[in-house]
Amino acid sequence: MSDALRFDGVTYTYPEGARPAIEDVDLAIDEGSFALAVGPTGSGKSTLLRAANGLVPQFTGGTFTGRVSVDGRDTLAHAPRRLADVVAFVPQDPGASFVLDRVEDELAYGMENLGVHPVHMRRRVEETLDLLDLAGLRDRSVRTLSGGERQRVAIAAALAAGPRILVLDEPTSQLDPQGAEDVMAALQRLVHDHGMTVLLAEHRLERVAGWVDVAIGFDHGRVRSGTPADVIGHLGAGPPVTRLGRILGWDPLPLTVRAARAAAAAGSRPALPPRDVARNDDGHGPVVAEVRAVSASYAETTVVRDLDLDVHEGEVLAVMGRNGAGKSTLLRVLAGIHEPSEGQVRVLGSKPRPGVDVGLCPQEADELLFNDSVEHEVRATLVARGEAGDAGPWLAALGIAGLAARHPRDLSAGQRLLVATAAVAATDAPLLALDEPTRGLDPASKERLIGFIRAHAIAGRAAVVATHDVELAAAVATRVVILAGGELIADGEPGSVLGDSRVFAPQMTRVFGPGWLTPEQVAEALT
Amino acid sequence: MDRRAVHPMAWIVWATSAGFVAFVTTDPVYLLLLWAVSWFVYAGHRVDAEHARSFRLFLTGAVVAVALRTALVFFGTVSAANTTFSFLEGLRLGTILVIFGTFNAVTDPFGLVRMAPRHFHEPALAAALALSIAPRTVAGVGRVRDAQRMRGITIHGARALPALAVPVLERGMEEAHTLAESMDARGHGAGRRSRYRPQPWTGAALLIAVTAIGAAATFLAASVGGWAILHPQTSPIVWPEAHPLLLAAVGSLAAPGLVGRPER
Repeated sequence: MSDALRFDGVTYTYPEGARPAIEDVDLAIDEGSFALAVGPTGSGKSTLLRAANGLVPQFTGGTFTGRVSVDGRDTLAHAPRRLADVVAFVPQDPGASFVLDRVEDELAYGMENLGVHPVHMRRRVEETLDLLDLAGLRDRSVRTLSGGERQRVAIAAALAAGPRILVLDEPTSQLDPQGAEDVMAALQRLVHDHGMTVLLAEHRLERVAGWVDVAIGFDHGRVRSGTPADVIGHLGAGPPVTRLGRILGWDPLPLTVRAARAAAAAGSRPALPPRDVARNDDGHGPVVAEVRAVSASYAETTVVRDLDLDVHEGEVLAVMGRNGAGKSTLLRVLAGIHEPSEGQVRVLGSKPRPGVDVGLCPQEADELLFNDSVEHEVRATLVARGEAGDAGPWLAALGIAGLAARHPRDLSAGQRLLVATAAVAATDAPLLALDEPTRGLDPASKERLIGFIRAHAIAGRAAVVATHDVELAAAVATRVVILAGGELIADGEPGSVLGDSRVFAPQMTRVFGPGWLTPEQVAEALT
Repeated sequence: MDRRAVHPMAWIVWATSAGFVAFVTTDPVYLLLLWAVSWFVYAGHRVDAEHARSFRLFLTGAVVAVALRTALVFFGTVSAANTTFSFLEGLRLGTILVIFGTFNAVTDPFGLVRMAPRHFHEPALAAALALSIAPRTVAGVGRVRDAQRMRGITIHGARALPALAVPVLERGMEEAHTLAESMDARGHGAGRRSRYRPQPWTGAALLIAVTAIGAAATFLAASVGGWAILHPQTSPIVWPEAHPLLLAAVGSLAAPGLVGRPER
């Protein structure tokens, strides 16, 4: 076996960077590996991924020492376009990478550049459409696709060109659980059946840890590679099953539901009974928001249909459902930004005033950052409210006080999302709405976000969170609703709604049965 | 079936011809008819909301152009004659903008790049990037304004401008950068190119091109032959003329509104 990708003593500093983004990296990824880059947000994963095809430093500038070789070719001696036949890259923001308008043309673009014969090209486009289940979207404009659809098209477009190595930056962050599993299965098939090498970065370890065979752990620019169990165990992070294993002292640490089940069965402890899910039946608090017979549409497409929903004081409502189910639109309707075509929305008894009654952090959170420092960003919200208040408490609540003086542009995607969340939370609106708030967040940041959302609800207010992240819903929600085709198809306690689902069940439910949501609950019951 | 059924070359011919017609006349009858024709063509071929927004942007630009050109008069001697003259000049400019807006809304700039001969590939690409900036920016402005409203920052007045302009421009720069990176990483300009499923030259496309060339030729003949008045007299002001043949020529530019409409 030879190295598909090799880093020798690579140190790289961005222009205007104070410290190296990656430092003294030695790394060899064998041909045919399925490799995962894992580590805290801002630790250099994206930089390393972009160095794999020479975008760093050829596009970014900065100071680069050492050597990266891809399939034996030096990335300093070959422009990224000269490496396009061996390595393909899918960036974090897939929408921005589209060149052509139609899905089908976008898939063919890379092959056109490589001069692939039209007959082969046609066949490979068809195969790739099937591989990622995109045949139904082939004639659509890429600009009209939902986030998850865009992600799949971007992966397909990279694959279609037939590279030996595929590099993906958080490929499942915009996908629903089923979509994420389909993408991982497709990638694994490419690795197993076609000997392709795949390198991806991902924070949602529960989605990827069981699929990969090599992990590369990042710690402030330094890397260390090994088996997934070894690296993830060493980082002190991991999916819920690993966290449970750590609490209970299991050895080896499980990475998958299957391994956790085996470890639980091997233990001498009695099996856990189904957890009583009707624990929160002490009546609801007063209504914060009510949605009555609401339908909402864009242009000629109806996205939300005849929906009724109440949000109560003290509630954290998780809105789930597959990509394009209408989650974001529901949030926008709640926030008073999108006018429903039928029905009405009331927040605290009147028409919702955006930014006053409801603060909503959109999925494209970067779109609200306009200040030159994190602190000023949050203060801009306070000033708009007519307050000269201190941004400090909001930053501290989300654990980003240390970034106060930094320019938002220089932060990682996950850190910017936290800044945007703080800027929205600073509206101090009684209803806080967050659209996909854990994209790009490492476990530690996610933990702080969960604490923050809980505190907001406990203070007699309410939060609505649209998310694909089942572990987030399991940890934070007091109630879960599932949307399908813009209609409400499930509504209730997280234990029953998530426990009742094959797709949305969190890891603890999969191991111990309905009602068990978080490792902490299980550990408490077992010890 | 292709979502955009008409070959881009037919659109180039249509836009060039319609633009030529607008260029050689200041007769408000023909010009206003061209506005109607453009709207009809746009309405028949627009594909999604983003195109609608970008068309509206050009329409607004056209109205502003007419107003500004007319207002120029007030820097000199104001008379009915030169106000009318300025208005007609402005109307001509506005008409060309509306035609360009229609072209922009019904074609895919990057689809045009793929058609460009190899030697013109780079300039065509630069042009396509420039063409795609308007709709991208318009879409960005809407999204950013919404995002700021959701945290209580309403955008009106110059003081709130940074809250709108900074994210729009920064995101625009970032997107352009990512796009350039992505194109390079996907082998753009690496060497020999092949074409995926070239668009067929359909009967509809042929009809559009032929009628457009016919319209342009008729106006050319009138301009050279002088058998019809293309620039109505403004001093003294006379009622503009409408030659039936020229009316028919402008009307025939509406042909794309009737054929080759995309499936919705």
